[in-house]
Amino acid sequence: MTGGRPLPYGDPAHQDAHQFLVEEAALLDAGDFQGWLDLLTADIRYVMPVRVTTARGAGFDSLADMGHFDEDLYALRKRVQRLATDHAWTEDPPSRTRHFVSNVRTFAVGQAELRVESALLLFRSRGDTREADLLSAGRTDLLRWTEAGYRLARREILVDESVLRTQNLAIFL
Amino acid sequence: MLDLPAIVADVRRGMIPAHVYNDPEIFALERDRLFARAWVYVAHESEIPAPGDYVVRRVLADSFIVARDEAGTVRVMFNMCLHKGMQVCRAELGNASHFRCPYHAWTYRNDGRLAGVPFHGEAYGGEDGFARTGQSLLPAPSADSYNGLIFISLDPDAPPLRRWLGDFSFYLDLYTRQTPAGLELRGPQRWRVKANWKIGAENFAGDSYHTPHTHASVVDIGLFREPKASKRKEGALYLAGPGAGTTYKLPPGGTFAEQLAYVGYPPELITAMASAWSAGQRRLVADDGFMVSAATLFPNLSFVHNWPQIDEAGTVAPFISLRQWQPVSERETEILSWFAVDASAQESFKRDSYKAYLMCFGSSGMFEQDDVENWVSITDMAAGSMARRLLLNSRMGLTSEGKPIKPPMAAFSGPGVAYQGFGEFNQRHWLSQWADHLEGAGAAAGSAS
Repeated sequence: MTGGRPLPYGDPAHQDAHQFLVEEAALLDAGDFQGWLDLLTADIRYVMPVRVTTARGAGFDSLADMGHFDEDLYALRKRVQRLATDHAWTEDPPSRTRHFVSNVRTFAVGQAELRVESALLLFRSRGDTREADLLSAGRTDLLRWTEAGYRLARREILVDESVLRTQNLAIFL
Repeated sequence: MLDLPAIVADVRRGMIPAHVYNDPEIFALERDRLFARAWVYVAHESEIPAPGDYVVRRVLADSFIVARDEAGTVRVMFNMCLHKGMQVCRAELGNASHFRCPYHAWTYRNDGRLAGVPFHGEAYGGEDGFARTGQSLLPAPSADSYNGLIFISLDPDAPPLRRWLGDFSFYLDLYTRQTPAGLELRGPQRWRVKANWKIGAENFAGDSYHTPHTHASVVDIGLFREPKASKRKEGALYLAGPGAGTTYKLPPGGTFAEQLAYVGYPPELITAMASAWSAGQRRLVADDGFMVSAATLFPNLSFVHNWPQIDEAGTVAPFISLRQWQPVSERETEILSWFAVDASAQESFKRDSYKAYLMCFGSSGMFEQDDVENWVSITDMAAGSMARRLLLNSRMGLTSEGKPIKPPMAAFSGPGVAYQGFGEFNQRHWLSQWADHLEGAGAAAGSAS
């Protein structure tokens, strides 16, 4: 996802987009995954390609046909339903997460959509003896204006490691 | 310090000293006696389809370039420059006719032969001082492939790959040769977990007992048609050659085509599978009613096959994953997880199968999430003093005298030995090979226990 008309930081649409991302991060860090699902459009596409180490000039540094995530609403809903069961051991006790969102840039696309780029640093701590994990990623989102306000229609997560240093992705970025 | 004969004796009677899952001395033995000899998977030929394509893979600390040379031959080369030891290729995949060392620019063709040495005349006095002819990146001591799976061994005297695979080939074909087109692999997803590498290998070899509990959540959310545990406890466990695996019991009474259709395979693929598989392989599915699930080929390559519902309409799609438990240390493992699908399948099937894979396995998979949590925890607990006093009971399926609580299946169409229901026969089979290697005996032609 590229393109769109860059918006100045003072533009209300940019401020709406920034606020959307911050409020979304608050839901995720509070473990309110059902509330998070409510922020997604019915045609959501949520993708996180596998990042790879390639030579400069190779022309690619992620895999086009393989992701850590490539989700529609059904798949995301199942993941959220699972976390709400009594048997999702990997998140019971839950991870303590903190989504740090910064470097937000907003681009107007058509009349009703915003393309929003952001940087994400995700801190994840589990248990009392393990070292905490960090995930760094760039995100490109498509926010669509609806009757209920902005909703997330597409997210591309470009993770900055080719080998993830976290035990699983039982979390959302 | 390490009483290896006692450890091996305990392992052989199914009582596993807990510390072996987090012990630097054990890990050193695994490096020197197991990974220095065993056939280890490095890549699939579909990952490097064109001349010049390469991937870089490791066997523990040793980095290898797996490349298809200009003549189309697959080469596996130690990724260390002959001159000063620099890592010649530092990308993990790509396409190159040559690999040039960044240090002094010694340059190698993609078949490993040394092609260029800067200032050869001035610096070495030409061929007299340093003969370029015949110089090559060190090849893997042994390399061979089966169904496109490329294996190497650090032992130049490794037994022939096909002989070593032995009876496990029957099952390996069910995952890796559904049609003559063979598999195409995507990925791998790679991630590091603070778990000992043996735990995943054992789990995939035969732990049908963990499924009803560890994976209760995926049944809770209706990801599968079958009720909790039903398809597991009637499943068969088999061990054959250097491998072992689990199966699911299919609903009774289906033909070969009906059973594969139930699992979600489309008609054209079923027709191709019917002609690609032997009568015995077809009988296993049709008459016996078993469908392969998880499996491990010793030491660290595993397979999984399952068929979740991938949309609200209840569309069932099967997927295959290959995964490698790449040891980093006694307490850390890099998991490499590939999505695999028959290369001749239609794009719509590949898309559905990919979705099924992502939901279930890999870095975000809903099965794998809970598995890894358990394995990290085991590894944590195995580090201390008390773990040295604990023998973990891995005798499931045996009487106190060491006899199976029920006899092996008489009617099972696959080779090797099979048991129906729960049991730790396969984990003991894997651990027995592990013990062979640690004792220094190795497993020349696939030891059977």
